[in-house]
Amino acid sequence: MKTSLYEKHVALGAKMVDFAGFEMPIQYKNLKEEVLAVRNGVGVFDVSHMGEFFVTGPDAAKYVNYMITNNIEKLSSGKAIYSPLCNHDGKIIDDLIAYKFSDEEILICVNASNIEKDFNWFKENTGDFNVELKNESDKYSLLAIQGPKTFETIKEIELLSGLKDADYYSIQKLDNGIILARTGYTGEDGFEVFAPHNIIDKLWDELIERGVTPCGLGSRDVLRLEVCFPLYGNELNEDLTPLDCGLAWTTKLDKDNFIGKAALTDYKAQKKLIKLTLDKGIPRAGYKLIANEQPVGEITSGSMSVVLSKGIALALVNKEFEDYDKLKIDIRNKLYDTTRVTKPFVSGGHK
Amino acid sequence: MSTIKENLFYTEDHEWISIEGNIATLGITDFAQSSLGDIVFVELPEADTTYDNGDSFGVVESIKSVSDLYTPLSGKVLEKNLEIEESPEKINENAFAAWLIKLELSDEDQVKELMDAKAYKEFCKANS
Repeated sequence: MKTSLYEKHVALGAKMVDFAGFEMPIQYKNLKEEVLAVRNGVGVFDVSHMGEFFVTGPDAAKYVNYMITNNIEKLSSGKAIYSPLCNHDGKIIDDLIAYKFSDEEILICVNASNIEKDFNWFKENTGDFNVELKNESDKYSLLAIQGPKTFETIKEIELLSGLKDADYYSIQKLDNGIILARTGYTGEDGFEVFAPHNIIDKLWDELIERGVTPCGLGSRDVLRLEVCFPLYGNELNEDLTPLDCGLAWTTKLDKDNFIGKAALTDYKAQKKLIKLTLDKGIPRAGYKLIANEQPVGEITSGSMSVVLSKGIALALVNKEFEDYDKLKIDIRNKLYDTTRVTKPFVSGGHK
Repeated sequence: MSTIKENLFYTEDHEWISIEGNIATLGITDFAQSSLGDIVFVELPEADTTYDNGDSFGVVESIKSVSDLYTPLSGKVLEKNLEIEESPEKINENAFAAWLIKLELSDEDQVKELMDAKAYKEFCKANS
């Protein structure tokens, strides 16, 4: 499948790759420059492949709260919330952001690779809730405009007139139907813009004309890893609960019944998600972590950090080794020393 | 369009080879460096390591990817380019100046299997 911006990506010289069935730009001219544009200026990502579900009706907030582990009933209207979506065993089906317009209207944005699986799961579990559920993924395009100069760049754009300088994780709906959320996946300030394809096509052109750097999925992955945001399929999957991979903060065991609550209440974490840096060598997903000559974990995401110019990694380590600080990484049968860090590798500048 | 130098041999893995007597010098082509993007790490073998043609002798890594390096020729490593291990970005600056290893060949006939500049140019065109 192609997003509505496909031709524009190709015209800008993007290298296109298949991602979850979509032909997406992985990189335009230079990955490093794309990362730095977002850290220091402003960049734009086409993330139209992601899925959008609309939940409406009197029980919308109650129903979504039953589906996810985080607490959306407590959240104010006009705000967004990050949450895992679990099955009855407490294992992670996907991670998502839920945008609460009101108790009766919620937009859910899910990973492209999980759209069908997630929508079926939502549909199967509507039970007696008085809600209407719509998969609008084909009707919406999505741009992520990210970087410290985002607001000053986009406030002049006529299509976005009425846009307010709002708080992080707040959402706004403009008169023309465009939905803007001050969210993103880079750690920097920025907006994600949901709108029908023809509007997004115009907005993309406006942004490029204003000198906003087009950025691909490659730089997006480096940016999210530098600030330690998990990626479904890497840090998160259906063999893990949120308690195994650093998402205990999104798991509200004190709220009323939700799917996975029973399983998670008694669950003892088996693994811990840790952060590592390397002075030499570049860690990659799948490389083994070694302690006392035994494999005790695995890198889930690894890269060279553009900001730090050294190897960085997220890794899942067996719980017994959660505090062990002399882990080595096996890179092509050679062992490399690692340094454990507790804070994200790069501190993003979001509001 | 990437640069292709005359008087060198080439492989389908986008490596260049220069031959002097029974000594081969190997590097990656301009096409390869430009497809990889910023090269940030290179791992090369120690002297005296021996390889058969088709063996992997090292890796070159960009920010996002790891690529194996393959030797099209059998032989023994005489020397690796320490300067490139220290400063891998030099491959991006000038791929044809950034040699990786020198090999003492054990079967000089294998050179006949390599592409010349003209054949490599056509190979790149057909595969781009």
